[in-house]
Amino acid sequence: MELLPQALVDGIMLGAIYIAIAIAFSLVFGVLHVIDFAVGEWIMLGAFAGFYLNLWAKIDPFLTLPIVFVVFCGVGYLLQPVIQRVLSGHKGNPLLMALVFTFGLGMIFRGTAQTFFGFYSHSIPSHFSNGSFFFEKGAFFLTISSVRLAGLIYAGLITLILNYLLKYTDFGLAVRALAQNKEAAGLMGVNNRRTNKVLYALYTGITAMTGVLIGIIISVNTKMGAEYSIFAFFVVVLAGMGYLAGVPAAALLLGIIQSMFLVYLDPGWTLLAVFGILYLILVVSPTGLFGKGWV
Amino acid sequence: MTPLLKDRRLIVSAAVFLLCLGIPAAVRDTFVLRMCTEAFMWIGLAVTLDVMAGYTGYLNFGHQAFFGIGAYATAILMMKSHWPFPLALAAGGALAAAAALVIGIPTLRLKGSYFAIAVWALARAIQQFALIVTFTGGPDGMRLTAFLDPRFFFYVMLGIVGATFFALWFLLERAPFGLKLKAIREDQESAKALGLNPTTLKIQAFILSAVPTALIGGVFAYWVTFIDPSSTLGDLISDQAIVMLVFGGMGTLIGPVIGAVLIFSFKTLFWAYLSQYEVLYIIILGAVIAASVVFMPDGVLGRFIRKGLRRAARPEAPPAAAAGKEA
Repeated sequence: MELLPQALVDGIMLGAIYIAIAIAFSLVFGVLHVIDFAVGEWIMLGAFAGFYLNLWAKIDPFLTLPIVFVVFCGVGYLLQPVIQRVLSGHKGNPLLMALVFTFGLGMIFRGTAQTFFGFYSHSIPSHFSNGSFFFEKGAFFLTISSVRLAGLIYAGLITLILNYLLKYTDFGLAVRALAQNKEAAGLMGVNNRRTNKVLYALYTGITAMTGVLIGIIISVNTKMGAEYSIFAFFVVVLAGMGYLAGVPAAALLLGIIQSMFLVYLDPGWTLLAVFGILYLILVVSPTGLFGKGWV
Repeated sequence: MTPLLKDRRLIVSAAVFLLCLGIPAAVRDTFVLRMCTEAFMWIGLAVTLDVMAGYTGYLNFGHQAFFGIGAYATAILMMKSHWPFPLALAAGGALAAAAALVIGIPTLRLKGSYFAIAVWALARAIQQFALIVTFTGGPDGMRLTAFLDPRFFFYVMLGIVGATFFALWFLLERAPFGLKLKAIREDQESAKALGLNPTTLKIQAFILSAVPTALIGGVFAYWVTFIDPSSTLGDLISDQAIVMLVFGGMGTLIGPVIGAVLIFSFKTLFWAYLSQYEVLYIIILGAVIAASVVFMPDGVLGRFIRKGLRRAARPEAPPAAAAGKEA
C-alpha cells in the first residue's frame, strides 16, 4: 500500500497532460463536428519542433512553448479552409469525408516525420528535468518531479484560459453559438468561416504545444502519435462528445488507470483495459460518464 | 430496376470474373499468379470495407481486426487442433461474425464518428492482445505447414472474393437490403420513421462486411504460411484498404475494385523499384487519400469513368445537388 499515494499522484499528473490534449480536441469536435484523426500526429510534430528548437537554437524547452504555439496556430489557420471545403461539399457524406481527410493528413505527417526524424526515441532536456520534491512522513512518502508539476500547472492554465475565452469574450460567444446551431448563429451575424479558422488554429497550437511538454516529461518519437490519439479519443468519449466540462475528470481518470496498471498490474494490458472501459461506457451510457454528451 | 440480364455493370463484372478464372491456364509464371492472388485479396478487403463505409455511412478504421481474427483462427485451429483447412477457415468466419455482433451492439447505435474511433481503438487493442498472449505466438508470430500450390490459392482467393462480390451485388444492388442501408446512411431518423430498425440493419451490414474479411484473412494465413501481429493485425492493412476505397469511389461495388487494382499496381511497382524509400509509401498513400477527398469525393469511378459514360449516353445533365446529410 505504500505505493498507492505515489501512484495516485503520478496518475493525476499524467491525467493533467491528457486534459490539455483533450480539451481543445473536444472543443473542435463540438463546433466543427469533425473528429481530427491527426490529433496524435499534431502532438508528435509539436514535440519534434520543440526537440529541434532545443537542439539547434539551444532554447530552454519551456521557452519554446510559445514559439511552437504560434507556428502551429499558423499551420492550423492555413489548413482549416481545406477541411471547411470538404465539410461544405454537397456530395456524399461530408462528415465522413472530413474524417477520412484528417486520417490522410495523419498518414502524411507520420510518413514525413519518419522520413526526416528517423525511428529513434529522444527526450527534450530541460533545466527542470532533474529537480523533484520529496515528502516523507513515517511509511508515507511521495516524490513529485518538477517537470510533471509544471505539466499540471500548464494544464490548469490552459483550462482556465480556454474557459475565460469561451465564457467571457465575443469569440467564445460565437463559438458557443456555432456549437448550438450553425445556421441560427450565422443569421445572428457570427462569421462561421473565420471563427472556425481561429478555433482550429487554437486547437493545433495548443495540441502541438502540449506535444513539447510531453517531449520534456516523457519522450519524443515518430510513433507516439497513435497512442495519444487513442487517449484523446478515450477522454472525449468518456467525458461525452462535445461536453467540455467532463473532460478534466475523464482525463484524470485515464491518468490514474494508466498509473495503476504501471504500478500494480502489467503495463502491457493498459490499452486493453482502456478499451474495455471504453466499451462498457458505450454500452451503458453512450453519452459519456455524465450523460451530457451527444449520441 | 433494370432486369438482371440487362444490367450492363453486372455483365461486365461477370465477364471480368470469368477472364480471371482463365489466368492460370494462360500464365505459367508463379510471380504473376502471386500478384493476382494478392490483388484479389485487396479487392476483397476494399469491397467489404465499402459495405460499411459507402453503403451504411460508417467508416471502419479497424477493418484489419477481422482480417487478423480470420488469419489467427485459421492458423491456430490448423496448427494446434489439427483441423482441416476448410473447417478452420469456416470457424474463422464464424468467430468474426460473433466479434462483429459483440462490437457492433454498443458502437453501431452511435453516430459514425464514435464508431470510427471505437473500432480503430479496438483493432489496436486486439493487436496488443495478440502480442501479449502466448497462444498466438506473441511477437514471434505463427508458422503454418507450407502448402505450396500457387494455383490452389489463386482459385480459393478468387472464389471467395468473387462469391463475396456477387453476393454483395445481389444484396446491395438488387435486394431491398441495400436500399435500407442507404436510407440509414442518408437520414437515420427518416429511416426509423419508415419502420426500419437502424441498429439491427447496421449490425447485419457489419457482419456481412466482417465474415468475408475473415475468410480472406484465413486464406492469406495459409497462403503466406507465416503470420505475426503486424502483418495481419497492423493498421497498414486497413489504411491501404481505405485508400483503395476512397480513391476508387465509395458507395459502389465497382469503385473499390478499380481503386484496389490501381493502388495495388502502384504498390507493386513502388516496392519493385523504390523499396529503399519505404516510408515515402505512407506519405504517398496519405496524399492520395487527402487529395481524393478534396478533389474527387466520388473517386476515380465517379470522377472519370461514370462521367465519361454519361456523356457518351446523353447530353450533359445538371448534376443533382443533393445536400449531404450526416450519418
